[in-house]
Amino acid sequence: MQVSPKKNTRSKPPLATRFAKAVYRDWQLWVFLLPALLFFLFFCYFPMYGVQIAFKDYKAAFGIIGSKWANPWFKHFRTFFNSFYCGRMFANTFLLNLYGLLVGFPVPVLLAILLNQLTHKRFKGFAQTAIYVPHFISTVVLAGMIYLFFSPSSGIVNKAIEAFGGKAIYFMLEEKWFRPLFIGSDVWQNAGWNTILYIATLTSIDPQLYEAATIDGASRFQRIRHIDLPHLIPICVMMLILNCGSLLSSDTNKALLLQTSGNIKTSDIIGVYVYNTGIGKAQYSYTSAIGLCLNVINFAIIILVNTISRKVSEISLF
Amino acid sequence: MTAAPHTGTRIRETKQDRIFNFCNTVFWVIVLLIVLYPLWLIIVASVSDPDAVLAGKVFLWPVNFSTMGYDAVFQYSELWGSYLNSIFYTLVGGGLSVFVTMMAAYALSHRFSGKKFVNLAITFTMFFSGGLIPIFLNVRDLGLYNTRTVMILINLVSVWNLMVARTYIQSSIPYEMYEAATIDGADHFTYFFRCVLPLSGTILAVLAVYYGVARWNDYFTGLVFLRDRTKFPLQTVLREILASLSVGNSDTFFEAYADNLGGLQEALRKAEVAKYCCIVVSTVPCVVLYIFMQKFFVKGVMIGSLKG
Repeated sequence: MQVSPKKNTRSKPPLATRFAKAVYRDWQLWVFLLPALLFFLFFCYFPMYGVQIAFKDYKAAFGIIGSKWANPWFKHFRTFFNSFYCGRMFANTFLLNLYGLLVGFPVPVLLAILLNQLTHKRFKGFAQTAIYVPHFISTVVLAGMIYLFFSPSSGIVNKAIEAFGGKAIYFMLEEKWFRPLFIGSDVWQNAGWNTILYIATLTSIDPQLYEAATIDGASRFQRIRHIDLPHLIPICVMMLILNCGSLLSSDTNKALLLQTSGNIKTSDIIGVYVYNTGIGKAQYSYTSAIGLCLNVINFAIIILVNTISRKVSEISLF
Repeated sequence: MTAAPHTGTRIRETKQDRIFNFCNTVFWVIVLLIVLYPLWLIIVASVSDPDAVLAGKVFLWPVNFSTMGYDAVFQYSELWGSYLNSIFYTLVGGGLSVFVTMMAAYALSHRFSGKKFVNLAITFTMFFSGGLIPIFLNVRDLGLYNTRTVMILINLVSVWNLMVARTYIQSSIPYEMYEAATIDGADHFTYFFRCVLPLSGTILAVLAVYYGVARWNDYFTGLVFLRDRTKFPLQTVLREILASLSVGNSDTFFEAYADNLGGLQEALRKAEVAKYCCIVVSTVPCVVLYIFMQKFFVKGVMIGSLKG
């Protein structure tokens, strides 16, 4: 409670004392925080401490701390960057995200604008409810649907192709079909859900603007062009920034399910490789190094993108 | 399906606008077909005859209506075991998540020294993580590998949801109320349980759906952290049934039930429809939950997303 009398009143007491004081003063709030803080400590910060095995030769018998440092310390990073697959995996991860962004980003904006223009109240409500539904389907089920619908023997897509005189395509075994299927199914599943933010923005527009525009004789197109779009641009920029920050992260869960021996040339993304090699083949140090690389790069991208956007448009995450 | 033009406006719609409305409605009918047709197809195929499904004859209505697929699914004891596991993980894990998140969000909605540090420490985890392998080794070192505990504790708090909840408490529960309660002698605990929680219906629903759906749909945690098949959640088992090429490990799953389903040949024949039934059985809880919570939910999400 009291500052130690030896200290000059101007200099701050040591951090630990101040911390203890702060906790003592608001101890009830700290009790509220405690479970969450413990979770973050044990399941987020412990692994960050454990990431040191990227610089070690991990042996289960010695544990994380007892294992010997790798010689040289960047051994595992060097192995990765020299490996044949490194370039391919970076390219696959990046391209999958880039194409995903190019296709997946505009669709929700378009849907939100057009949904907002629907005049029939009940139809609009129904449409809004319906486009959210696929979001609640699990990744496993989505992958299962892809396998079922695109099956070369019984899938409905190939039946349709055959009905029009084409030949059945082995969608899951051809490398050129991995990205279209991955991105297409992602748009199907999440485009509707991603409209929420834009619809919220559109509904917050002052209706007087529309009334005034209508009285002045603005057509629906003109209202979209001159009222809706300008209101949507800030939030679009923010979402674009957010998405750019994840250009090298990857949806490991889904790619892992859609990967087959046939499409591995395009489906081999970093996250899947880390899972297969790390958990599957127990190469812990090597894959930790890969994961660390990726996380550092992603972190740097987010900081960079955030700084740029704060300078340019005064929109930033933090 | 064309929508009637809005008749309330005094200014008549121009011809251009009516064309726009018509095109827009047609566009939305197409969008809805794209969204809903795959779902419809799954339901239809799940109650059709396996041979018709395999021959690709099912596309609009059930062919030779039969519940054979569902009968087969009921035989898969492993599937139902995992179903119970998933219910357990979702209810207990999800409930704990909501509670812990609300408590932390409540604390963070107040001002106290050290808050900046806590905020920073929490936000940092959103942008940087140790990675899959260190997390895996950490769980093993904590002695949680292959336990049900890890299925509950991992992913307990999502930073994003925490922010949404904090924003909600800050913006929709007036601070004056806290002052009034304090004057009446309430401490934080009393105030939280007696005032904040009862006023947080919307955000509780949003958190419950977010956390619940995420847990129900998660297969990866089970795949990485569990070894005993008896502890597997539904999605991890479903992965073996659904997400593999037709010749592969899914067949080994169905072979196990060959005796009950009238021989291997018959079991694999039924398996084709059973796959559709599995999808229905596993997805229905989530979709029904969403439709029931819908009104509540969309409103709550918007509160969080706009200000958060």
